[in-house]
Amino acid sequence: MSLLEVKGLKKHFPIKTGVLKRTTGHVYAVDGIDFTVEKGETLGLVGESGCGKSTTGRAVLRLIPPTAGTIMFEGVDVMAASRSQMQALRRDMQVIFQDPYASLNPRMRVRDIVGESLKIHNIGTQAERKKRVFELLETVGLSTEHAERYPHEFSGGQRQRIGIARALALNPKLIICDEPVSALDVSIRAQVINLLEDLQDEFDLTYLFIAHDLSVVKHTSDRVAVMYLGKIVEISDSAVLYSRPQHPYTEALLSAVPIPDPTAERARRRIILEGDVPSPANPPSGCVFHPRCPRAQEICTTAMPALASTGGDAGKRHEVACYFPARFTGEVRTVSDTPFEAALPGSDD
Amino acid sequence: MGERLLTVDGLSTHFFTHAGVVKAVNGVSFTLDRNETLGIVGESGSGKTVAALSLMRLVPDPPGKLVEGSLMLGERDLRQLSDAEMRQVRGNDIAMIFQDPMTSLNPVVKVGKQIAEAITLHQDKSKSEAWTMATELLRRVGIPDADKRVSQYPFEFSGGMRQRAMIAMAISCNPDILIADEPTTALDVTIQAQIIEVIEEMQQQYDSGVILITHDLGVVAEIADKVMVMYGGRTVEYGGIDEIFYNPHHPYTWGLLGSLPRLDEAEKTRLTPIKGQPPDLIALPAGCPFVGRCLYERPECRDGWPALEIVGPAHGVNCWIPETERRDIRAALPHFQAYVR
Repeated sequence: MSLLEVKGLKKHFPIKTGVLKRTTGHVYAVDGIDFTVEKGETLGLVGESGCGKSTTGRAVLRLIPPTAGTIMFEGVDVMAASRSQMQALRRDMQVIFQDPYASLNPRMRVRDIVGESLKIHNIGTQAERKKRVFELLETVGLSTEHAERYPHEFSGGQRQRIGIARALALNPKLIICDEPVSALDVSIRAQVINLLEDLQDEFDLTYLFIAHDLSVVKHTSDRVAVMYLGKIVEISDSAVLYSRPQHPYTEALLSAVPIPDPTAERARRRIILEGDVPSPANPPSGCVFHPRCPRAQEICTTAMPALASTGGDAGKRHEVACYFPARFTGEVRTVSDTPFEAALPGSDD
Repeated sequence: MGERLLTVDGLSTHFFTHAGVVKAVNGVSFTLDRNETLGIVGESGSGKTVAALSLMRLVPDPPGKLVEGSLMLGERDLRQLSDAEMRQVRGNDIAMIFQDPMTSLNPVVKVGKQIAEAITLHQDKSKSEAWTMATELLRRVGIPDADKRVSQYPFEFSGGMRQRAMIAMAISCNPDILIADEPTTALDVTIQAQIIEVIEEMQQQYDSGVILITHDLGVVAEIADKVMVMYGGRTVEYGGIDEIFYNPHHPYTWGLLGSLPRLDEAEKTRLTPIKGQPPDLIALPAGCPFVGRCLYERPECRDGWPALEIVGPAHGVNCWIPETERRDIRAALPHFQAYVR
């Protein structure tokens, strides 16, 4: 059984206008996505701003109610969970936020921030909780004397460590990392990435790692799901995705990331996409990527292709939602010129 | 490389605040030629933006003050120019693109008018001529429907289009030097690729020199010809692009390269971060600002700033570690293997 199983997840935010606040449309932030996260792995969720990756993370935690879909955590339906069940679930699912400045209450001392969840869940006596907070601070590379200080006394990297200590307090099984290193400088970012990796080994954690930086996602994740305009367009083992991307959006995204190596840079061919990402309030018909896609054909304008497997072992399958995915035979890359049958809508039902 | 456009020698800019003197830039020297791209690399607080603002003489005074150094734009000494003369230099000779295109455009003025304003200020053009030029510039930086877009407001533009509009404004008076301060940091990667392409095209078209300020070594590897690495207000190393990546001499440069996850790494290697936190610019150590974080520190590092050591053609480093020892340390760095060719 997968630790987390998400099926048909949708989140549509209503757009309300006028004095009467009538709903005049919807922002299709997340529009029907399926994925699973296995115990002990890191699933990277990558995409550009507005693709719905953070909304997905929040919906999984039930911080915002999804419009449709099911979320199963260890076989328990998160959406149907009662209040008390939910409280138990929240111990197992924690989150680390992007902005280390906004996610810590400036009026609380570090010991209260880190120990708050222990208090809410009535764990231990006051002395035990204090000991646990000290332990957590040391685990994330801070010292016990930091416990009495306020967030403003820390730098960005140290604050992110406080946020990590807070997430660890209840011994969670799954941590949703929502852009945990985006606000940090290069040298500090590497410290935090290494810390997250060490903690995963030490506490047997599972991560849903949400980020826009592909190099970071590639480095931290076992599998990667690429999102575009509320849909997952490709999902696969991270090494395979980076060496053999099949979806044209993944290809363009990968080619756009600069590599810190001048020789490698000179040898690369960059695929530059035309235009901007369309508004999620008014997504294009058919495949959401077709207006910017270099391979788009007529069929692409009719319906969104289904996410279909193109091989690989169970649990490590390479899935792509495209009628014309790139195919690899040996080292040679070709683009299938006949529509990819498995991606035809309806073929997966 | 073409003619020398800019020579900066020993530039120091300090901020005199109640809490103390913030030594944002300390004795920084560099040059820029026509058709050349200089990348200034550093983390937050390394002084890279203040160095660029000092060039434009845009550092707010008080509290900021350009305390030392010479800024030569060709034969002209920028520090000797009057405010009125300096206003002519900005735009005509040096133009700047900022990080955040939303806050650097006026939200209540049409984009076309903002570009036309820069044109009428610097060139002898009528309003309608300037408007036509603004439309043409927008088209040149790749904005679709430029005729329509020219009379829209910044909020109607996406982030990438705003940055294109900023570039259009910057090149409107055909400047010799274009300073781009983190031009793509606020943008998504696919849009970043578009903007970098526009900057490269404009550089070729106008034969300008470009100063690219960024924390992203990937972007630098992509377009820079030479690199200056800054830390704690100092230049710790400078050199040609290949020298910096394949033959780096300063421990901070090693640290930066070791901190980067690479998209093209075949198998997962552990990152080697730099320990500790960046220094407080008010309480900078007397010696090298990297002390405390440097793994190869020695006693003299705390006492004084090392002299510039030339280690190759147009490649210099400021470090107390003797060169032979540096080569040995570097050869043993695990992450450096990826860069050895």
